[in-house]
Amino acid sequence: MNGALQGLSRWFGLLGAGVALLTGFMTFVSVFMRSAFKYPIPGDVELTQMGIALAISLCLPWCQSERANIIVDFFTQRAGPRATNWLDGVGGLALTLMYALLAWRTSVGALSVRSAGETTMIISLPMWWAYASLAPGLALAALIAFGQSLQLLSGSKSGGRT
Amino acid sequence: MTAWATHIGVIMFLAMMVLMALRMPIAAAMFIPGVIGYWTMTDSAATLNFLKGNAVARLTVYELSVIPLFLLMGQFASQGGLSRDLFRAASALVGHVRGGLAMAALLSAGAFGAVCGSSVATSATITQVAYPHMRGAGYSGRLSTATLATGGTLGILIPPSVPLVVYAILTEQNIAKLFAAATIPGILAMLGYIVVVALYARRRPDLAPPTTMTTGRAKWTALLSIWPIAMVFLVVFGGIYGGLFSPTEGAAVGAAMTLIAGLLKRELNTQGMRSALLGTAETTAMVFMIFLGADMMNATLALTEMPKMVAQWVTHWPIPDLTIVMGVLLLYVLLGCVMDELSMLLLTIPVIFPAVMALDLWGLNYEAKALWFGILVLMTVSIGMIAPPIGLNVYVVNNLAKEVPMSETYKGVMPFLVWDALRLVLLLCFPVISLGLVKLLF
Repeated sequence: MNGALQGLSRWFGLLGAGVALLTGFMTFVSVFMRSAFKYPIPGDVELTQMGIALAISLCLPWCQSERANIIVDFFTQRAGPRATNWLDGVGGLALTLMYALLAWRTSVGALSVRSAGETTMIISLPMWWAYASLAPGLALAALIAFGQSLQLLSGSKSGGRT
Repeated sequence: MTAWATHIGVIMFLAMMVLMALRMPIAAAMFIPGVIGYWTMTDSAATLNFLKGNAVARLTVYELSVIPLFLLMGQFASQGGLSRDLFRAASALVGHVRGGLAMAALLSAGAFGAVCGSSVATSATITQVAYPHMRGAGYSGRLSTATLATGGTLGILIPPSVPLVVYAILTEQNIAKLFAAATIPGILAMLGYIVVVALYARRRPDLAPPTTMTTGRAKWTALLSIWPIAMVFLVVFGGIYGGLFSPTEGAAVGAAMTLIAGLLKRELNTQGMRSALLGTAETTAMVFMIFLGADMMNATLALTEMPKMVAQWVTHWPIPDLTIVMGVLLLYVLLGCVMDELSMLLLTIPVIFPAVMALDLWGLNYEAKALWFGILVLMTVSIGMIAPPIGLNVYVVNNLAKEVPMSETYKGVMPFLVWDALRLVLLLCFPVISLGLVKLLF
């Protein structure tokens, strides 16, 4: 189960950075068109905003499965492995709560913005796309963090890298 | 009401500190107390409503998109072999001098820092290309790792720079102007580090044995091989400073160009591409999680009016204004020793910045003061990256150079830290070091 989630998170991460790269190329082309023909890609700013929001959210699960979120380990250097695992398990549960809360609330936000019919200024992209694009990454990250915490708290595994 | 609100603010802040000390990931240690505080200050409906929009509001800021784009640019430059070319050119240039390979490592770190905005990434990249050569030439472990960890800070001291982007957004300053303000101090940092290496090598010649001189022809080949990275740098910064495009557009152009350069050189294979993308994904997520956590904390702190009170308190101290700034910077150095740099900026700048702006410093106007203070803060941040007890760069380098004990690296870093402190005082006394170029360019 955890292995499958990790594999999925790797795909999410590749896709996320890929979306950022695509957004970059789009901007590159737009800058070129603006300087060469005085005609940039219409709505390039809005597309960048949406693209980067999607990219960031897709990157979250990979960062979580690598346990790369920053912690301060200065004050607990002398703690034994059991205490450390327990603290990391609790920390993981706190992250789970954060991801899950944000996933839930942005999904609700997406629904209400959709029914209000808000759009972006220049090329009228539906605003709810930005909200909805955040949910999958947050939700997968929550699942991964939860799985890691259970493992750490049950003491079945030392939890990979710190 | 106000006293009660301030109490909540203080309790939240303390809760955050305790949770951080207990290994809770920093993002969650800021987020969870932030949510609870918000709930206490308002009610459940208002809290849930706030959470509906804050993540989207935070992640769709156009200026912030420079962060993943600059990260991509650094990753491609590293995976595409551009960093290796830089080191080869630098060692062809100065490698034969005593301590020359360490100087070459610093030069290439500085040049790499000009396309990379992260000090951790710069340390890791340059360590991978320079460390084997340094050890192979008989350099001591201490000098090698200390030089590489210190060189890594050039990744943020020389623009582009992720912490500087964060500062620019928090204080609503022009990113391009901040980059310009960082340039001269960044170059000075690099030159000073090279002097430190020269002094080091003169006092302890056994630590840095000389290597053979590169012949004229090989030197030229090595120097010519860095043209792709030179061109990326010229286009990106020429474009940004020349007003041709915004920093976000510059970052996009840079990411695209380094990718193309890596592909044309046939160095960026599928494997390299994969690790560049995954490396970017990991750092991007980490940075933005901290953003989300700090944003929640700051929203609640703003409700409690604690930042306003701190600002008033600071500005009414009966001591000279410049001394207050020195105190603030000292606080940053201390905080930077135990805290990660981005969350430190995100948590303190909203409180400290207005207070500092209210001070009279060398008669500078608001914008000049904001730019200058930004560079001062950036320098203290870079000190935190290498100073004990937890210098992130030192961790990164020692992780790649496992046979050198971390305590050795910390010992080796000390002379570099002396130059850092000296430079901080210089910039404090002579704002023109950073503002001169801004005036010239804008």
